[in-house]
Amino acid sequence: MTECAIVGAAITNWIPSGEPTPLLMDRLAEASIKALREARLTPGELDAIICNTSSIPFDSPAFITSSAQHFAHRLAERIGIREAQCMNVSAACASAAIAFSAATSMAKSGLIKKVLIAGIDNSPRGFYLPEQSYLDPDPYAAAIKVIGATNPAYWAMWARRRAYEMGKDVEDIKELMALVKEIHSQYGTLNPYARYRKIFTADEVLKSPIVCDPLHLYMICATCSGGGAVVVTDMETAKKITDKPVKVAASAVGGPLYGEPMPRLRVFSTYKKLKPFTEWRKPIEKAYKIAGITAEDVDIIECHDTSCFHTINWIDQIMGWEREETDNLIRKRQIRHDGELPVNLSGGTASFGESVYSQAFMMLHELFRQLRGEAQERQAKKNLKIGVCTAYGAYGAYGCIILEKGW
Amino acid sequence: MKKEVPIIEGLFKWPSEKPQLIGSRCPKCGSIQFPKSTVCNNPDCDHSAAVEEYVLSPVGTLYTYTVHAYSVREPFQYHKGPYVVGAVELPEGLIVVGRIDIQDEKALRIGMKLRLKIGKLYEDDQNIYLSYFFEPVIGND
Repeated sequence: MTECAIVGAAITNWIPSGEPTPLLMDRLAEASIKALREARLTPGELDAIICNTSSIPFDSPAFITSSAQHFAHRLAERIGIREAQCMNVSAACASAAIAFSAATSMAKSGLIKKVLIAGIDNSPRGFYLPEQSYLDPDPYAAAIKVIGATNPAYWAMWARRRAYEMGKDVEDIKELMALVKEIHSQYGTLNPYARYRKIFTADEVLKSPIVCDPLHLYMICATCSGGGAVVVTDMETAKKITDKPVKVAASAVGGPLYGEPMPRLRVFSTYKKLKPFTEWRKPIEKAYKIAGITAEDVDIIECHDTSCFHTINWIDQIMGWEREETDNLIRKRQIRHDGELPVNLSGGTASFGESVYSQAFMMLHELFRQLRGEAQERQAKKNLKIGVCTAYGAYGAYGCIILEKGW
Repeated sequence: MKKEVPIIEGLFKWPSEKPQLIGSRCPKCGSIQFPKSTVCNNPDCDHSAAVEEYVLSPVGTLYTYTVHAYSVREPFQYHKGPYVVGAVELPEGLIVVGRIDIQDEKALRIGMKLRLKIGKLYEDDQNIYLSYFFEPVIGND
């Protein structure tokens, strides 16, 4: 196994979605060129282009042959390639994270040396309604039709169960989620790429309408359009390109875990065999093993916060803590840039909104900048060495990435 | 006269005196699934026997829930908020997500006993669409 590192990264602005935006392919190509220029590489030098697909078929009418499902090939046409292998990865909210994992696994095997991972999305607005296709009338895909269980309904059920298991009133986690939003939104105001550049106070969050009790509207991310690009090379090449290569210490891909009791998005049932959220915890443990680290080595987190509950649960799982420790960390505001464990200094999805299939790009971009000390006003005060990025979505789609200072 | 039809075929026994969800069970390892499947989902199973249809226990306890305040847009606009979505733990160890039919949402408690019923989800010009719900068990039943 050879080591590999990120040598360039760029993201687009996150903008409102659900309507035609400036052309996705133009924005994707521009971000890709920007990342390649930072990496001092030409497209002709690439061994592979790996893109995420998009959530566009979640809206209707939409077709799998949609050009938005084939970004890698279209991007290759647009920027020009010589030998690059092109492929597209589809894995709901974890698509970009898993595209990154696929790329870095190939790079670590020595099969490829220079790879561009890129993607963009224009997510449908509002509740996702994945209707059954008449070509595949699979009853497993019909939970929304039968139950009316939208994505926030599942998130809300997770949040309530966590509060219950802690022996706390659900109001307790509600307040904690509101505080998470307030803290993340402060960083949104400092991030030029974020869609929401406004502070949402905890009080405002709690006064916003309830969507799925205990989740209020401002605790749930809006869907957005945005994307980005990351260039990864083998470490030897990386060190020639930059004196600050960000090493890919590990990437782990997860999936629906047999025996996970907590109903994952879109399912009718789960089978209770394991401790709740083992599905979230397992790939992190795997990534730690690959990276040769423990939770204590983690300096900074960029986690996929489609709701403010996600941030709380990610801290539980990434740190392997009993839940009180997570709650105390947040209450003491130690997840800020000057805190013990900075979380989502990008502003998170709480400030960006979610460009569903491409969300990992904004997290990877932030960790890349933070580890290199280039995050300007958002820069963590503590000395950073290791950062963790996680993404989790429908059907148990899951990616965990660990980045490390490579110099 | 409108016709009563299940919202999806094969999810529950209907028409039937005893409402029950239809799952499947692996005779080899005992793993249970809902909706029913044609293969076992236990990663350690050797698949030496075909899975069988298995009707699930109609009574369980509330594992978690949410009050869904908003309505869903078309084509699922018949899910009119507020309504309750819950996860119900059955004695088999299966946790089933479903609509909870309860008069007073404030009476919802994790751990409360619930029973399956089949009822109307919505109707259109031709049909009355039936689905499964869980409702509180009153008394010691």
